[in-house]
Amino acid sequence: MVNEERLRHMIKMAEFDENDGKQCKPMIQYARKDYVSLHLLISFVTGSMCYALLVGLWALCSADSLLAQLNQMDIRNALMSVLITYLLFMALYLGATCVVYNVKYTAGRRKVKRYYANVKKVNQMYEREERLRASENKDWE
Amino acid sequence: MTTILEIKEKITRFYGRNELYINPVLKFLLAFVTFLMINQNIGFMAGISRTPIALVLALVCSMIPVNGMIVLASAVIVADMYALSLEVCLVTLLLFVVLYLVYFRFAPKYGYDVVLMPICFKLRIPYVMPVGEGLLREGYSVFAVACGTVLFFFLDGVRQNAAALSNTTETEEAASKIAVVLNQLTGNKEMYLVLGVMVVTTMTVYIIRRLSIENAWGIAIIAGVLLDTVGLIAGYMLLGISGKTIGVLVGNAAAALIAFFMQFLFFNLDYSRTERLQFEDDEYFYYVKAVPKAVVSGTDKKITRFGGRDDKEERLTKKRFAEEMDIDEELLD
Repeated sequence: MVNEERLRHMIKMAEFDENDGKQCKPMIQYARKDYVSLHLLISFVTGSMCYALLVGLWALCSADSLLAQLNQMDIRNALMSVLITYLLFMALYLGATCVVYNVKYTAGRRKVKRYYANVKKVNQMYEREERLRASENKDWE
Repeated sequence: MTTILEIKEKITRFYGRNELYINPVLKFLLAFVTFLMINQNIGFMAGISRTPIALVLALVCSMIPVNGMIVLASAVIVADMYALSLEVCLVTLLLFVVLYLVYFRFAPKYGYDVVLMPICFKLRIPYVMPVGEGLLREGYSVFAVACGTVLFFFLDGVRQNAAALSNTTETEEAASKIAVVLNQLTGNKEMYLVLGVMVVTTMTVYIIRRLSIENAWGIAIIAGVLLDTVGLIAGYMLLGISGKTIGVLVGNAAAALIAFFMQFLFFNLDYSRTERLQFEDDEYFYYVKAVPKAVVSGTDKKITRFGGRDDKEERLTKKRFAEEMDIDEELLD
């Protein structure tokens, strides 16, 4: 006979596996600090790519004036301003990463906790059934 | 009110029963509208800017995740831009990569919002998006709103300058074409204004609706709509852009109506039955405020009659009862 209560918990577990399981898996493996650090590292790469593309777009846009001023250009000043804007951009990008992934970690851990509570309950139900099956008592059927 | 609640319950139950079919149909409709709008506004490549193609693409989108829809729509846009000119195509590609690096990094779950944002702009109700996002999504959905806004202003700028950017314009040099198309982003002060107001509105609505106050959703909607209206009108005045006030007012009024409908659907509480509970366990004292949802039980009861008598015959009026009992009718008052 189907144990309805156990089925309810198992449905919730299956829902988690299907929808959030993959996304929440790193939250089981890593502590908050490590999880956020990992994403900061990824964001460092993507943010740098993003900035390079934006500079590329700006260079395309002002290609004419850049070529005209190439000989008189103060390269050191130009590089300095690129570096400062890069640092500002990365501070924003990494700051956003820090906030977003902290929020995601908190929400994910909550889901994982609920998932493990369900796992625990299902395990207890199986253990109880095993015990009853081993004894002479046939009431569980 | 009870009737409306009953209708809501019926809709919810109907959706629950038929979710498997309703979701692909809704996704198909959204994708179809998206591709039609792309075709109508920037359909420069005649080969793919046809309704049958849009139908086929929408059908494909109904079966794949929403981020697949975004990639397909991007591909169609890039193809259209290629037909317009190679320089515009290059800039569009670079812009898409930048937007992807922001969107997929921070809000990859909110693909619908990125698609809906330009559609709402075309329907002149973009103000509903920041309010709706703040109400229904997490705070970081603001990145989806920002990406959708930038995308719309860029594509709208290209549409308006299509003649100058076209391949047939021999006099335009490649560099100047790129400058024109990039100016839609860098020199577009209206875009910066709208982007700033949308971001602030989304965050304000999100923060207020999470507060532990009565009618938090209602207050968040009103605050969001007011902030949107005042911010945009003041911004347009500062920038010297005229002719936008009525659009902002009407659009925000529509946004408020839609947002209140969303509240009715997703957060309809009955504050008159609020309960305040207090209890403790080994580690904490709990002060809990429980606000019940406003729901009505379904009315789909099935009445089975035994004996086959008509309802009218069954009704026992005071008069008939008095006749049967052979007593004076007034005695029953």
